[in-house]
Amino acid sequence: MNVTATLTDRYVETAMRTVPEKQRPDLAAELRASIEDQIDARIAAGDPADEAERAVLTGLGDPDALAAQYTDRPLWLIGPRYYLTWWRLTKLLWAIVPACAAFGVALAQMLAGAGIGEVIGAIVPVVISVIVNIGFWTALVFFIIERNVGGKDIALGAGWTLDQLPEKKERGAGLSDLIASLIFLLLAAGAVVWDRFVGLAYLAEGDGWMPALAPALWPGWILGLFVLIALEIALAVWVYLQGRWTPAAAAANAALNIAFVVPLLYLLTRDELLNPAVFPALLPAESAQTVMTILTLLLGFGAVGVALWDTIDAFLKARRAR
Amino acid sequence: MSETEALETHLQELRRGTIVLACLRLLRDPGYGYGLLEELNRRGFDTDANTLYPLLRRLEKQGHLTSEWNTDEARPRKFYRTTAAGRRLAGALTDDFTAIADAIAALPEEN
Repeated sequence: MNVTATLTDRYVETAMRTVPEKQRPDLAAELRASIEDQIDARIAAGDPADEAERAVLTGLGDPDALAAQYTDRPLWLIGPRYYLTWWRLTKLLWAIVPACAAFGVALAQMLAGAGIGEVIGAIVPVVISVIVNIGFWTALVFFIIERNVGGKDIALGAGWTLDQLPEKKERGAGLSDLIASLIFLLLAAGAVVWDRFVGLAYLAEGDGWMPALAPALWPGWILGLFVLIALEIALAVWVYLQGRWTPAAAAANAALNIAFVVPLLYLLTRDELLNPAVFPALLPAESAQTVMTILTLLLGFGAVGVALWDTIDAFLKARRAR
Repeated sequence: MSETEALETHLQELRRGTIVLACLRLLRDPGYGYGLLEELNRRGFDTDANTLYPLLRRLEKQGHLTSEWNTDEARPRKFYRTTAAGRRLAGALTDDFTAIADAIAALPEEN
């Protein structure tokens, strides 16, 4: 039995496994001839036959890698041509989708009357599976593109232009930021006062304009709100004078957000925030309670979402401004 | 990466295109893979089978080489020959290589 011939046979056969059918006979014959030539050369130089064959085949290396080189097949999942496009898209999706999914699940669970533990228990697996799925499917799509467009460069990653340079990040401490903050805060204070004396909720049949906030909030809670608004104004001015967000300013902003959201949630959960006279007048009695619950949840989620975003944004600006 | 590894990588990159040029010029007379490999190494173009064979296939696919099986001898061999396009490419590469060599010669002295 000729053991040495078997090794070459096995090597050629293994290499041809991954070569397209129609290239196979040609490539196999050439590879075999090349291996035999190299073995002959080694034997002529004085090596024993089986050692020569082993040395030649070892020198050629992994047959699958060799076949890939012969046929110009990529040996990577996502190569340099699409890597940046893939990575940008994955990061973008990771930044958007899990947060939206978590928000949606939380809202749905709360509306269904779930407790806080249940809500968290429902969010965690959804967020994890969303992250993993985005990673997997995006990579799969690019893996397929990489292998099926051949040498053609489809417009995915092509055509980078100067317009794609990121804008210089806003520092969020300019005069326009100060003015925007002041206008917003004064409008908010004005709206509260207007609500008290004129009303923001309009009832077509009945009493006309009514306050949307519970009148019982006056004067204590509302006074507290005005103090918070005054502090927010002071913070906005402070940030403007420093010319940038500092970690201290961001921390103060976070504290103010907490000071605003916690009492708001407290009042919401006790049904003491909104004017109890509005809903029964606006809706049939049997659906008033449901609408109230949903509205309470939406308000709560909205407030927490905005406060969280504002807090994170301030810290990001502080980090950028260092 | 050690210094010798880095040296190896840089030398490999520097030589990569020169193997193409040498193949195109040597294959004006038809030649087969292993014979060409020996000829290249004899003439000072350090290369191995893993590099050479895929390179020949690529050049053939691009139309710079043609091939023909020779079955006259005991061991059938695939003979490659440079085409007209291949000769034009070789000319362009040679001109460029000369220009690079001149440019390198004009660089500040090495010390």
